[in-house]
Amino acid sequence: MTKLILSTGNIISGGPSIIRKPGGFRSNLELTNSLRSNFLAAQEDHLDTLADSDGDLNGNSGANGATHLDDSSTPAQRLPPSTWTSRENDTLYVPSIDWSSESHGLQEEPAQYDITAKIFFLPGIPVSQRPQHAQEALSHVLRALGASAVDLLIISFPGLSFEGDCEWEADKRNATQGNDEDEIATWVESVEVLHRTGLAKKLGVSEYGSEKLGKLLQRVQVRPAVNQINLKNCCNVPPPLLKLAKEEGIELLVHSDCTDILPKGTLRELLGHGLGGAGLLADPETGAPGLEGDLTPQWVVKYTAVVRDRGVIENKGYFAGAVLDDQ
Amino acid sequence: MGLLALGTALDWPDAQKQAHLVREWGIKQLLEIWKKAKGKERDAMLWGDEVEYLVVTYSKDDPKVLLSLRQADILDALAKDKSLAQRRCSPTPDESGYKSNQPNPVFHPEFGRFMLEATPGKPWGIEFKELLEVESNMKLRRCIAKDHMRPNEYPITLTTFPRIGSPGVFTDPYYPVSGPKLRSQFVPDEIANPHIRFPTLAANIRSRRGRKVQVNVPVFRDENTSWPWKDPTVNYDLHQWPEDDDVRNGAAPDNFIHMDAMAFGMGSCCLQITFQAKNLTEGRQMYDQLSPLGPIMLALTAATPVYKGFLADTDVRWNQISKAVDDRTPEELGEKPLEKDRWRIPKSRYASNSTYISEDARLRPEYLDPDLVIDENIKQQLLDGGMDDRLATHFAHLFIRDPIVIFAEDLQELDLNKTDHFENIQSTNWQHMRFKPPPADNSIGWRVEFRPMEIQITDFENAAFAVFMVLITRVILSYRLNFYIPIKKVDENMETAHARDAVLTRRFYFRRNLFPPATRPSRRGSPSGSSTPTSAATSRPPTPFGPVEDEYRLMTINEIINGTAYARANPGDVPASTTDDKGNDEYATDDFPGLIPLVESYLDSVNVDVTTRCRLARYLDLIRKRASGELWTAAHWIRNFVANHPEPDEPSP
Repeated sequence: MTKLILSTGNIISGGPSIIRKPGGFRSNLELTNSLRSNFLAAQEDHLDTLADSDGDLNGNSGANGATHLDDSSTPAQRLPPSTWTSRENDTLYVPSIDWSSESHGLQEEPAQYDITAKIFFLPGIPVSQRPQHAQEALSHVLRALGASAVDLLIISFPGLSFEGDCEWEADKRNATQGNDEDEIATWVESVEVLHRTGLAKKLGVSEYGSEKLGKLLQRVQVRPAVNQINLKNCCNVPPPLLKLAKEEGIELLVHSDCTDILPKGTLRELLGHGLGGAGLLADPETGAPGLEGDLTPQWVVKYTAVVRDRGVIENKGYFAGAVLDDQ
Repeated sequence: MGLLALGTALDWPDAQKQAHLVREWGIKQLLEIWKKAKGKERDAMLWGDEVEYLVVTYSKDDPKVLLSLRQADILDALAKDKSLAQRRCSPTPDESGYKSNQPNPVFHPEFGRFMLEATPGKPWGIEFKELLEVESNMKLRRCIAKDHMRPNEYPITLTTFPRIGSPGVFTDPYYPVSGPKLRSQFVPDEIANPHIRFPTLAANIRSRRGRKVQVNVPVFRDENTSWPWKDPTVNYDLHQWPEDDDVRNGAAPDNFIHMDAMAFGMGSCCLQITFQAKNLTEGRQMYDQLSPLGPIMLALTAATPVYKGFLADTDVRWNQISKAVDDRTPEELGEKPLEKDRWRIPKSRYASNSTYISEDARLRPEYLDPDLVIDENIKQQLLDGGMDDRLATHFAHLFIRDPIVIFAEDLQELDLNKTDHFENIQSTNWQHMRFKPPPADNSIGWRVEFRPMEIQITDFENAAFAVFMVLITRVILSYRLNFYIPIKKVDENMETAHARDAVLTRRFYFRRNLFPPATRPSRRGSPSGSSTPTSAATSRPPTPFGPVEDEYRLMTINEIINGTAYARANPGDVPASTTDDKGNDEYATDDFPGLIPLVESYLDSVNVDVTTRCRLARYLDLIRKRASGELWTAAHWIRNFVANHPEPDEPSP
């Protein structure tokens, strides 16, 4: 078993790929585009390093020319993964992370920021692994930002949404989604502990309708302070949810994240040999070498650091955890 | 308008003799602030809006609307009333239960005696809930103002009073025209605030020019307009003042509505937004990045289609104000060879920006104004005082102007604990952006004022534009957007913004790619918000720049605001010509993301509650639809109203 940690780095000045397209609600393009461009950047960095080391002797070596990669092409010659990824014990960082680089960490001390992290538990992953995944996800965020805690940790469980045009209907349908027992167990065993140990100052849930939220509130010790919802029109909050949130003092926040943020097939495409893939996986069709085995995404975490009192987003990014069953 | 000091105002020949002293002391005061404040850090993001009103009289039984000249009495009533809001205008608490802790709004005098200005009692923060308070606070301000007026007086937010300067009665009370201060044949001296500062300002501008100001606006021509058109209200037979010769010497050309006094410009109402930056570097960055947005926001807020009762062929106030305070002499204007004056000056004191001031690696020298006039001696003094070249150039440019109003009392000794002489020059340079150093006591931060927007008729619209500008600054700073285009192109855009329905029918130069050139800022770029100036790409040698002309292209405002994809799907009234000046297809070249999608992406990345997001969506919707033509500008509304008005003698000439 190899564990993979995928990362985007700080995407806040990452260009048009993270800008919402018209009608592009609830999309995971921000995650996939920014992973892809970070893989590419890592490979280009490696090429630059090569060019820098022999470039002085040979002024027109290729760093700015033919060997440059871009989004649309698949380079004829793949760089060996070892040049732009790194291994720590049984964990492969894709790409390798220079934790000391200036693109990590925050400009000012962490108290100056509102830090939000959102952990996405993915569908089909055993509930028993969630405590470990939550720990892992949060620790990567804290390490990337050089912070000791996040201000708000939001948990996204698989399969929850507000679907449909009618808000009452959406709220009702929401009640039948997910698995209350699993979610409550996860909350108690994996999430509250992050609050108690001081790693997350406030907790939140995502896409909880009034019924699910009511049940959760009855059975947990650390209550969510926030419920993130995505509605076609955020002016039409289901009235029962609005009422419950008001009574219980839970803030209803807007989000536009996808329900299934990193499907297995998407991950394979990102790391495979196809167009725009990173070429990390072995390709049985062409016989190209690479990692072999069954690749399963396990969790995704998104993080944002906003400068308090200034409304400026300074750092935003994602980590994703996956396992490669290479036995 | 700042605090109005009292004293003995010098008339023009005397004031001019002291101009050099005022500049010299002004620069010393500036350097004093510079030394104190250049290292200021981490000021909070605060911002303020200023709303200006016309006060009119109107009653049901008398359809004639007049300008009320009771500004002083109204301000007096407001000042004496300690519990301003508690009578009829208690602010309504937000539906979410959020209670404002805003103190009472503050009212200020303005140039026109028929004007009022109102600002919030303290600056706004960046909390999203505070953004939602702006609209209700604007309503509160209007209510309080109304509450201190006579029953037949109303504060209205129109840029200009459509009938100011028309023959007959347009003020209450009535005064005859041709007074000694303005010498205008259209408006009485009493049109201006009687505080000595204002008549002196108007008189000294006139004296310095050597003639009255000439505010000529092209007249709107329809099938019934006789052509060439001669302004029928111009009187060529007045012989009371030497300036009465102006119209006999060609001051009122054919096909233009002719106006001759400062009140026609400075009597306009606008919506100004001031931002406090976290430090000097961020302030300079915001100044530069907001500058290219100026003409775009001017066209989007267009609200000024009528002057002196005639429909004009332009939609905005800007050039009229520019001409109304243009104090340049014939030598400075280039009409006579330079003998007494020091230089030719291409622009009025009220004009679009001429400088970029940031020490930003993205600022290419090609963007700067090649014709910038500066006072080299002043620049040297600033450099010697430790200021960097770019900022010294900016202030050495502002300081080519003479102070207009000088009080004798202020010339007795230089007080470095004040900024009065610096402000005398700084605040009579009315450019579309203003870069404001902290006050002498250093109690607030470096600020940037965004000045081009026209006031909107409703508080909803004014709040929407104010909030949009706040959000766009957050987007610029978060995404480190680059809006730079050559400053001469911003000038051109400013002219373009004047055209009738420019928002729908014209295209503007705008930067194609707002983001850093490489696709890989994440690994090597430094995060935003750095307190040291940083370039977009650090360790690797900078990508060689292509030609500046390739960095921008012509875009409709729909495309700039909503993005290429939306503009393509909602083309509005843009004329059929879809090729730019290089013959390229309008939309074929590249996709522009659009400012509204950028704002939405920003909002997606921060924690916003549903109520707030819903209300912000309404504001963004207004701006989106203005840009696409689904909603009309106030200028379009007024034109449409006039065109459909039954009375034959109404404005259409």
